[in-house]
Amino acid sequence: MRSSGQSRFLSEPRAALAAALARWARARQGEDAPPLTLQARRIYILPTPAGLAAAALLFLMLLAGMNYDNSLALLLCFMLCGVTLVSMHECHGMLSGVRLLRAEADNTFAGRLGELRLYVENPQSRARYGLQLRSSAACAPSRFQLPPASTQLVRLSFQAGARGRQRIERLELSSRAPLGLFRAWSWLHLPLEVVVYPAPGGAQALPARRGVAPRGERRSRVSGEEEWAWLRPLQESDPPRSVAWKAYARGAPLLVAHYDAPTGVHRLLDFGLLPALPLEQRLSQLAQWVIDCERLGESYGLQLPQRLLAAGHGLAQQRACLEALGLYGL
Amino acid sequence: MADEAAALPPHTVWLLLGGFLGVVLLNAHHTALWCLPLALGAVAWRARGLHVPLRLPARYLRLGVAALLTLAVLAGYHTLNGIEAGSSLLVAMAALKLTETVRRRDWLIVLGAALFLLLAACLDGQALWRLPLYTAELWLLCTALYGLGAGADAPPTAQLLRRSGLSLAAALPFALLLFFFVPRLPGSFWALPKSNEAFTGLGDEMSPGSISQLTQSGDEALRVRFDGPLPPPAERYWRGPVLHVFDGYTWRRRHADVGSAPRLQFHGPAYSYEVTLDPNEHNVLIALELPQGLPDTLPNAYSTFDYQLIAPAPVSRAVSYHLESYPQYRSLEPLSPAARQLDLQLPPQRNPRSIELAHSLRQDAGSDAAFIDAVLDYLRNGGFTYTLEPPLLNLDSVDDLLFRTRQGFCGHYASAFVTLMRAGGVPARVVTGYLGGIWNRYGGYLFISQSDAHAWAEVWRENHGWVRVDPTAVVAPGRLTEELDDLLPAGGGAGRRLLTARWITDAVQAWQGLNAWWQDEFIGFSFARQLGLLAWLGFRNHDLQVLAALLAAGAAIWLALIAWGLRPRLQPDTEDSLSRSWRALERKLRRAAAPRAAHESTTAYAARVSRAHPELSATLRALARRYARLRYGASVSPAELEQFHRAVRLLRWRPRGSAV
Repeated sequence: MRSSGQSRFLSEPRAALAAALARWARARQGEDAPPLTLQARRIYILPTPAGLAAAALLFLMLLAGMNYDNSLALLLCFMLCGVTLVSMHECHGMLSGVRLLRAEADNTFAGRLGELRLYVENPQSRARYGLQLRSSAACAPSRFQLPPASTQLVRLSFQAGARGRQRIERLELSSRAPLGLFRAWSWLHLPLEVVVYPAPGGAQALPARRGVAPRGERRSRVSGEEEWAWLRPLQESDPPRSVAWKAYARGAPLLVAHYDAPTGVHRLLDFGLLPALPLEQRLSQLAQWVIDCERLGESYGLQLPQRLLAAGHGLAQQRACLEALGLYGL
Repeated sequence: MADEAAALPPHTVWLLLGGFLGVVLLNAHHTALWCLPLALGAVAWRARGLHVPLRLPARYLRLGVAALLTLAVLAGYHTLNGIEAGSSLLVAMAALKLTETVRRRDWLIVLGAALFLLLAACLDGQALWRLPLYTAELWLLCTALYGLGAGADAPPTAQLLRRSGLSLAAALPFALLLFFFVPRLPGSFWALPKSNEAFTGLGDEMSPGSISQLTQSGDEALRVRFDGPLPPPAERYWRGPVLHVFDGYTWRRRHADVGSAPRLQFHGPAYSYEVTLDPNEHNVLIALELPQGLPDTLPNAYSTFDYQLIAPAPVSRAVSYHLESYPQYRSLEPLSPAARQLDLQLPPQRNPRSIELAHSLRQDAGSDAAFIDAVLDYLRNGGFTYTLEPPLLNLDSVDDLLFRTRQGFCGHYASAFVTLMRAGGVPARVVTGYLGGIWNRYGGYLFISQSDAHAWAEVWRENHGWVRVDPTAVVAPGRLTEELDDLLPAGGGAGRRLLTARWITDAVQAWQGLNAWWQDEFIGFSFARQLGLLAWLGFRNHDLQVLAALLAAGAAIWLALIAWGLRPRLQPDTEDSLSRSWRALERKLRRAAAPRAAHESTTAYAARVSRAHPELSATLRALARRYARLRYGASVSPAELEQFHRAVRLLRWRPRGSAV
């Protein structure tokens, strides 16, 4: 699980052990289908380094108490042992009974972080805190708490690999609460699959428009804000001139206006236009074009060697084109 | 740790600092003087860090200060071992750690040091009155631990206190289980430096004047529980060290046996009792005169030629033992020549006037018995007074007392009497111990304090053996004849005379009784008592195996109980009438659409059902909108709520029908 920058000699046995452990847990638990409840049999718990240090301290205290044959010191030591063990149970209880209602994942571009959304429920009257959800060691975990009888949407990033279909192999829900002396965790094997699009890239100009506008006229985009077809949230790469400022003035958040391009006018993004590039760079360039066209609000079609996607625009068109690119040849 | 970067909220830092300061205060009486100011400074410095950014001292500076503090401890105690030196060092290092405490790991180290310091405080003082302090401190430290565990999003202090309090309460049964069933194997793992604390009480030697300090102390010396009736006050002589060797000023014990103890014949009533002896600096086990046999619970104890019961090692912590004593006894054997010689010895050229006096009294008396009476008469009628603040005596202490000062307490008169006896040819020795005791009716025991310390004489009379003579009784008859009820102590220490009000006495006795219970049952819990507990439970063999089995079973039960207490419990049904109405609506539509998913809002649900059944659309959207308004709106009138319930009741859906 933990990929450390140590030498191969040191890291290899650990990685092998982690892989074996993951296989074992997967075989033991089987595939999960939400909604599901975390039961005790799939919650694992081990002391943390701090917990081991605490055990050493308790042992020292025991020795001191026995050495001086001092009843009060022994009682103190035993009380602390008790508190530690209670905290172990509490730590386990942080996960036990938590329900996972639903899990979703978004497609994303190769090499980027994608987003997972999990709806987690605490049906019980006990608060759970210090919860951590992570998809892999490389991604930052999401921290959250679950008040009694509450449901929470947890957003979580995952690292997208190469283009194509990607399964989210395993999620880990863990907690070190309440004392940080123990760490309880549970592995989730959810049926989460995403399409990883080619990383957009390439600097070639968009192919020329095709078709003729019925009335041969185009609206000025700057002055014609009233005529936008639909709005979407602003992204960092959007040019400022695409912002729907009037909507913003009315109290809406920053949105990007999309316009109905004149019907009949579209660009055909053709795989054949890029003969000089290797395959992956071609696909990257095509993905970049798809994004550019979408940003410009223009109609576009996609021509792949054995497949043609008809012209259109909007989120559905973009998704269809990008998925086709992501899965091309696979 | 999980979250190094996240800063702790201020209240957690205060909890940690408060916990550390509390434990330093609990150790303040036995750590080096500079420990408290050092800790205060470090805490203030760290607290300031809550408001202004901390500039951590340079590494070499910290190392230098650490080395300096270690040297300071070494200079003060000449060791790093032992409670005092160890606690001082720990306070110093933890205070130093505070100055560089940023990460969670550092705080954990400080907290660990604080817990260990709490242990050191427990090692040093186990008195009952400290128990609430220790409990409060443990709670505080646990709360800080909970706060530290919660990290940046720690709940408010009150909630942390509640959590840690619950956790401690849950831990208590387990702690008691371990306390009673973890084998208390005797013996030390590492040598401890001798404590420099001085015990008051009887000693190996007596110079008249040294016992005067004892009378100031009302501290407990021993307690005695009797199996049957108590001996009358005049027979409550508790025998301690016997002193033989006199240099004219100081009486000392004779450690090697001289001859063997003359065999005794006991008669009269026997008293069976259990003594709990507090720590002292001699190794004599105090017993009622005169004990028969040896204490049962101390296997290596033995009896000496002068009827002292000797423990194998100094009594460094409270011990309990059971004995049987007969106040009436006589020797069946003559005194051995060596013992006679020992107890007739007087230092040459010392106390010449006393020896002269003894010779003249002996010549006038016809027998040893008459001589003894004559000496007692001399003390009775010679103008001697009993005082707790006698003048100092010169080296010829007996001469000085008898012919100049004529003031003294039990030690003076015992010393003088024995000197006169020896000078008159009667073997005699000084016996030290305690006289009297107060009955504590709450604890059901006789309480004997250090101020009951007493010294008397034993003389050898042919055909009788050793006979106790208490010369103080003739000088100050009140010391013996005083009514020994539970109001006024036998010795009449000045401080205790104040306790004349009944309720004060009652309160003091109740507190002493509680302390005795604490000492006997808790602090004094030992392997022997463990075996007693096992026997009481019905196990008489295989003690260690039984202990292990009991421990395992008890721990398993406790763990199961904790798990049961933390089992998942559904939130009790707290839904209001609005939710009930909405649920009724969903029930009515259960055949029209799939049930609302847990993550689905009421609005989304209404939209979904409307898409499937357009005929319901208008009603459902209106109801959903009204529901949202009632649920989240600023003000809701009861009439509006009632309207909503009615609208839901009106709703109908049949597979081929339509909404009403």
